[in-house]
Amino acid sequence: MKLTRSWLEDYIDIPGSTEDLCHQLTMAGLEVDDISKIDNDDLIDIDLTPNRSDCLSVYGVARELNSINKLYKSKPTKKNKKIESSCKNIKINFNISQKEICPRYGYMYLKNISSSLEVPENIKKRLENIGIKSIHPIVDILNYLMIDIGQPLHAYDADKIEGDITVRFAKKNEYIKALDGNEYKLTEKNIVVSDSKEIISLAGIIGSDHCSVNSETKNIIIESAFFDPKFIANKARELKMQTESSHRFERGVDFNLPEEALSQLRTIFKDNEICECSDINIISYANLLPESKEVELKFEKISSLIGIDISDSEIINLLTSIGCEYNKKNNTIKNPSYRFDLNIHADYVEEIARVYGYDNIPIVPEKISIQPSKKYQTFEIINEIKQYLYKNSYSECINYSFVNDSTLENYNWKNQEFFDHYKISNYMSVEQNKLRSNLTSSLIKNIQYNNNVNSENSYRFFEVSNVFGDNIDQVLTCVAFGDRYEENWSLKNRKFDKYDMTTIVEDIAKIFGLQKDELDYVIKDTSSNKMKFIELTLSISNLLSKVTKIPKEKFVSYSKFPYIRRDLSFLIDVTITYGSILKLIEKINVLSLKKILLFDLYVGKNIPADKKSLGMGFIFQDEAKTLTHDQADAYVREILEELRSAFKIELRK
Amino acid sequence: MSGDTLKSDLKKVLEEATQSIKDIDNPSDLEKLRVKFLGKKSLLNTFMKSLSDLDNEEKAQAGKKLNDTKKKINDLLGEKKISLSKSKDKEDDGFDFSMPGKASSVGSLHPITKTMNCAIQIFESLKFECVEGPEIEDEFHNFTALNIPETHPARAMHDTFYLENNNLLRTHTSSVQVRVMDQENPPIRIIAPGKVYRKDSDITHTPMFHQIEGLYIDKEVSFSNLKSIINIFLKSFFEEDDLKIRFRPSYFPFTEPSAEVDIEYIDNKGNKNWLEILGCGMVHPNVLDMANIDSTIYSGYAFGLGVERLAMLKLGITDLRLFYENDLRFLKQFQRI
Repeated sequence: MKLTRSWLEDYIDIPGSTEDLCHQLTMAGLEVDDISKIDNDDLIDIDLTPNRSDCLSVYGVARELNSINKLYKSKPTKKNKKIESSCKNIKINFNISQKEICPRYGYMYLKNISSSLEVPENIKKRLENIGIKSIHPIVDILNYLMIDIGQPLHAYDADKIEGDITVRFAKKNEYIKALDGNEYKLTEKNIVVSDSKEIISLAGIIGSDHCSVNSETKNIIIESAFFDPKFIANKARELKMQTESSHRFERGVDFNLPEEALSQLRTIFKDNEICECSDINIISYANLLPESKEVELKFEKISSLIGIDISDSEIINLLTSIGCEYNKKNNTIKNPSYRFDLNIHADYVEEIARVYGYDNIPIVPEKISIQPSKKYQTFEIINEIKQYLYKNSYSECINYSFVNDSTLENYNWKNQEFFDHYKISNYMSVEQNKLRSNLTSSLIKNIQYNNNVNSENSYRFFEVSNVFGDNIDQVLTCVAFGDRYEENWSLKNRKFDKYDMTTIVEDIAKIFGLQKDELDYVIKDTSSNKMKFIELTLSISNLLSKVTKIPKEKFVSYSKFPYIRRDLSFLIDVTITYGSILKLIEKINVLSLKKILLFDLYVGKNIPADKKSLGMGFIFQDEAKTLTHDQADAYVREILEELRSAFKIELRK
Repeated sequence: MSGDTLKSDLKKVLEEATQSIKDIDNPSDLEKLRVKFLGKKSLLNTFMKSLSDLDNEEKAQAGKKLNDTKKKINDLLGEKKISLSKSKDKEDDGFDFSMPGKASSVGSLHPITKTMNCAIQIFESLKFECVEGPEIEDEFHNFTALNIPETHPARAMHDTFYLENNNLLRTHTSSVQVRVMDQENPPIRIIAPGKVYRKDSDITHTPMFHQIEGLYIDKEVSFSNLKSIINIFLKSFFEEDDLKIRFRPSYFPFTEPSAEVDIEYIDNKGNKNWLEILGCGMVHPNVLDMANIDSTIYSGYAFGLGVERLAMLKLGITDLRLFYENDLRFLKQFQRI
């Protein structure tokens, strides 16, 4: 809502600077976005919240200022002179088929509009200053009055109208060619004004093209109506448009305004000798007008909810200052006709807090009962993983959840192809037309971007986010590219490989007291644009469910006797996994075997191509006595025998 | 000698000593400097002897100044001695203090994560429990249950992304409020951080951003409690006890009274401006009633923080899009949030 200081001064005296005035408006909830100089005047741009339709006019803003700050003196409102009609009413019948839609409909007939008609200078200037384009002298005056007092008005070319005028619901598949040049398909929920042949306007929203006024127009019908907001709400938006009129009607226009507007219009026409006008005609169904609701005031609730000490009489004074009526007998309050936002008790609590001044409400900390905090909340678990990764050379990325159709996107995080995407029906660009099924493609893009602008020899990125595949999963993905270590003077560098990702999985499992095998994850390499990436994706959802099921930890005692270590180096078939070796040894069930470690893995020169060489260390320790070397050797022999018979291993020298 | 000339003389001595000590690179030269500035024949010692010419009051003052200067020089000599002794190691075993270490293994957390963690820690210390909700929502949880019926003009304020199955991407974390109220009875004291989506993209809007929702419902919760929690949070987050904060009436369908909160911000030209930082209010009775919480017994406050906005203000970032570019020079820039 744009207005100027001088326009406001039609209604009130402003004692201080425009900045002070705007501060008051802002602190009353009418946020001033901008103040600028225009034409020796101050242009004020107010960002109104949708509940305050009463302030969608200069008069409304003045009324608000007057009620919140007693410094302002209300100037007498413009008195309407009694004006004789200068022409007769047009002979048209007005029917309102659904009276609850339009409980009040006013109209007036204008005759003999001159083609050389000019808008009065002061009106022209004011419209210009607030950025409203000139369309037609009469339309300009209607727009001016709408900004001035808040009543949207519409002008029809009277000579283009045939037969009676009816306000009704649109029929299925009816169309309107609107004066914005567009054609709109209507539904049975739209309200239209039509003559006997076709629609002449979409009620309270926009007029039709064929009976809009232009420079040729001789005679005009002015419509000044009250449409119930609940029938107008959303209608313009559904048709993807918004007009000054729809903006006001869907939020609520004072139903006392239609007559007032027509009468002020007559004054303007008369004073500026613009045209002849007829009597004011008002069709009104008073019982269908929105009723003010009586709401009982609960004084204690008001002061406890806001947190202020306030007397009953102060509360009543605050509410009456904004135009509400207090009924002492019933202890009820009633809203003025221009306040559509005051219906229930909470609405009045808000008004009291607002007019009392948010600044004046004290700051009082609440008393809360202190409860033990819950352990292993989702947030903490994820944060622990993130902390681990960042301390282990990974950098966190955050990417948009939407992606476009790239090949990678047809795979879910487990690398299974799938087709049923979470597609966004009203996407902004095709680049972002569906929700991502994995984080890999985003992270690869991050690496490719960075590789072009940064000089690093390797990139290690991770992201934790939801992915939308066959299911919605929360996952962690790490993607690495390039060398294992950042360039340095000492360590021998090597490329990243998949076992580097195994370490991450093991460490994460350890952090939460789990085993690697209990986690749900994939490790793989992926190529894109001739770059090779190593990827780990781990299901956080799965981890969370495991972590919450871990039993409470209990201390386990350990041996105080010396340990003995024995190493074995042997050749084994490449196809035999390390896991199956471990499983076999586990089956032997050597109680004193405390730890197994793998210190060497070799494939290549000097050994057969179908073999790999493993170096394993075994640590033995007895719980009750010092272990002898003979016993340790016996254990190793036992293990060796089993390995030989199961996997045909050959000991290396 | 007067007190004033002594003062300027001392200053000169200190300056000279500071520079000389800085330039020294071996312990034997350092010892020479000690003799020069603090020894028997030093200028300071001469000054000390001349103190007897002054009257008692002046003597005390000048004496104090002299001793201060002596102490400062002595400290500088001490520090230098330690640093020289460290580099001495190099001479013995070749270890060079100034060498970079072997490959570093510190990566980085995203500034959004850091900002979020910082805010969450503050709220957890204020006994809020951190919960999560789904990013894909239905109309009911995102709008209807928050007192935003279909025809409400406020729905236009949320440019919503819809999925092909008519679900939507949540436009705010307030939807989590609804889910928590469905499942728990008061007192409820939660925060809900997460991603939210709006169909908007320009220099100040990205189609995805992060919010933290807060909700407290109990008996006798008041607007003055809300003012208190927001004050505590903002002062703690910005690490500024004197932060100027103002509450201004606003409108959200799910709170009443509603407020927008501004903080005073001084731009690089030194101009004071108010900057909107968050929205909040008392939970609307319709919202409570829809969640089967008796609004005649319980009341509550709710607030919603924009994480990117908090981060931008705290870190002086002016372009929102940087958060989603994931350039290492951006990601690794902030260590201490």
